Amino acid sequence: MSRFNPYEENGGSILAIAGQDFSVIAGDTRQSLNYSIQTRYAQKVFPLTSSAVLAVNGFAADGKNFVKRVKQRLERRMFPFYVYNILAGIEEDGTGAVYSFDPVGSYEREACRGAGAAQSLLQPFLDNQIYFKNQTLAPGAEPFVPGRLPLSTVLSLVVDAFSSATERHIEVGDGLEMYVVMAPGRSADDLTAEEAQQAKEWPSELTVEEMESLGDEQEEGKAFRVFRLSRPLKRD
Amino acid sequence: MNGGSVVAMIGKDCVAIASDLRLGSQAVGLASNFEKVFPVNDKLFIGLSGLATDTYTLRESLRFRVNMYRMKEEREITPETFTHLVSSTLYEKRFGPYFIEPVVAGLPDATPLNPNPKPFISTMDTIGCITTPKDFAVAGTATDKLYGVAEGLWEPDLEPEDLFETISQTILNAMDRDALSGWGAVVHVISKDKVVTRYLRGRMD
Amino acid sequence: MEALVQRLAPPPAHVDPDEYSLGGDGEGNLNALGVVRGMQVPRVPDPAAFLSTYTNSMSQNPQAKIKLEHGTTTLAFRFRGGIIVSVDSRATAGSYIASGTVKKVIEINKYLLGTMAGGAADCQYWETYLGMRCRMHELRNKERISVAAASKILANIVYEYKGQGLSMGTMICGWDKTGPQIFYVDSEGTRLKGNVFAVGSGATFAYGVLDQGYSWDLSDEDAQELGRRAIVAAGHRDAYSGNTNNLFHVREDGWEFLGNKDISELWYKYEQEKKDARATAGAGAGTGAQGENAARPTTEVQPVPMEE
Repeated sequence: MSRFNPYEENGGSILAIAGQDFSVIAGDTRQSLNYSIQTRYAQKVFPLTSSAVLAVNGFAADGKNFVKRVKQRLERRMFPFYVYNILAGIEEDGTGAVYSFDPVGSYEREACRGAGAAQSLLQPFLDNQIYFKNQTLAPGAEPFVPGRLPLSTVLSLVVDAFSSATERHIEVGDGLEMYVVMAPGRSADDLTAEEAQQAKEWPSELTVEEMESLGDEQEEGKAFRVFRLSRPLKRD
Repeated sequence: MNGGSVVAMIGKDCVAIASDLRLGSQAVGLASNFEKVFPVNDKLFIGLSGLATDTYTLRESLRFRVNMYRMKEEREITPETFTHLVSSTLYEKRFGPYFIEPVVAGLPDATPLNPNPKPFISTMDTIGCITTPKDFAVAGTATDKLYGVAEGLWEPDLEPEDLFETISQTILNAMDRDALSGWGAVVHVISKDKVVTRYLRGRMD
Repeated sequence: MEALVQRLAPPPAHVDPDEYSLGGDGEGNLNALGVVRGMQVPRVPDPAAFLSTYTNSMSQNPQAKIKLEHGTTTLAFRFRGGIIVSVDSRATAGSYIASGTVKKVIEINKYLLGTMAGGAADCQYWETYLGMRCRMHELRNKERISVAAASKILANIVYEYKGQGLSMGTMICGWDKTGPQIFYVDSEGTRLKGNVFAVGSGATFAYGVLDQGYSWDLSDEDAQELGRRAIVAAGHRDAYSGNTNNLFHVREDGWEFLGNKDISELWYKYEQEKKDARATAGAGAGTGAQGENAARPTTEVQPVPMEE
């Protein structure tokens, strides 16, 4: 007897990294069911407020519904939404923040987090590159502090992490969509300047556009800035 | 069941193979000196991750077969041939397989027929289906984690010392996200004139 | 940001039977305060069976799609100087270590701590709610709630939900009029008072160390060290425990956090200490029964070569 199953697994992965005065949150754009690709462009990352962006992964229908309902209060312990969430944004003190949630709402603030189908591929790589795990300090070198990497390094790590996941996980690929949230007053030159985009580290085929602010009453110069970055991933 | 992982990588005129050292029984760690990589000859190693009892059984049965080969042929077995030998040994148990996913890593000797041999790695499923990657091969409970890190860190034509760093970082970081692998690691780097074996200090939790 | 995080992880809402109506004239399923009335329960004949099929909160069903976090070692013990609460920080989903930085001690208020084993969200949610109830008690009665009463509130709540898939094993630790108290409460409805508890997949290993070193008359330092060592032992042997140790000491004037330490680093430190101790013991005496090379009658057996 087959029982009614309200959940589906739509693959894909999401990932967020916090910086000193920015945060980056990303997701691939493939949506699949078993071995079939339902669409090559499904949004997983959603700007929520002027200073926070939410990434949702798991059961796409629940994800869409969840984002809709976030503006209301939620109470779903006995009938969980089948979604894993990561929230990235800027804290009141201006620092970049990443919060990760499990399906029933327990959460934790971190410097980085990968989730979704390829989380076990993404996370150990990030442990090594973001938290400097298993790395020994060269004599006389500056001590490692997680969450202090420059934006350009973070961007290329995100692209590398997703390219790797695309290579080895069938449910990840097609496109990469990233949002960068910047603290008020922070210069965006390392993202928008010609010079930055010509640098060796700059990921190939990356397009950058600034989003319109979601907050209405932000003063000039004190506004958060949100950028949407996108780049193709392998489609096979 | 017992946990454990193996990874092998190709470098420039060298190969490396590494395993963790944990032997467990479900959640309980029993030993931190359980090596899963064994020498076949001077320049050829095999990693046997999976069920610990089969690790030993298969090691002994392969040792027997390699010794027979050596006596009959009066030469050392090549990595390619050895891979096929492992594959047939596994397929013999097609309907009651060894619970082992082997990884082979070796540096073939130059011969008149093959004067410039390339470093060789291969891996098999439990019943002996061979794959021969050009970059790296992984097996065990941390397979997906190993893939994630290796894919991010590995690059072509690494010198022996760089290959050692790459494979070590790969296995250490992958192990730290796997509950059933860990408790230290061993790395062998095989180059033309020597094999360097190092034990890595890993997390003990 | 913080406000948004709070909104994503909803504040505890539970119908408190003592509470007179807060007004029910809200919108939809919200009451006047914007709090959800009750929980959403799937419309199936047996909600518990539903939950255990699709989450791993009740069963070990490996097919269960929604992985809630499991695997833990937590401990607490009572002694002359108060209570030591010591926990690990690992969260696993299957064999994948989902997090190594979980806070498994929940600070209910200045005098009360709760530990977390089982469902992370269940513990976080209900112990935060317990904090609200404890504060209500303080405001109503102009005195702090006893640990017995606080733990009973929690036990009663989880008992209401018994069979519906809540998963928690917790120790409510605090200092009240009667002194230091520990109550073990779990989602089956068990509530026990005791001196020494360990909860989670690594509990047996922790008990091994605790039982060996525990005494009511332990000094503060020795008690704290015992708490650390028990978690290190469990983190070492149990695959599903580890990463870091969080240590708390509860005294008459409230709890104190004594730091977060890497379990693996501690393990290496303790091993080195053992080695050093053996070296000094071995150097001192050739007759003593201590040390690895203690004089012990042994018969050497020569291994027989295989060819023979």
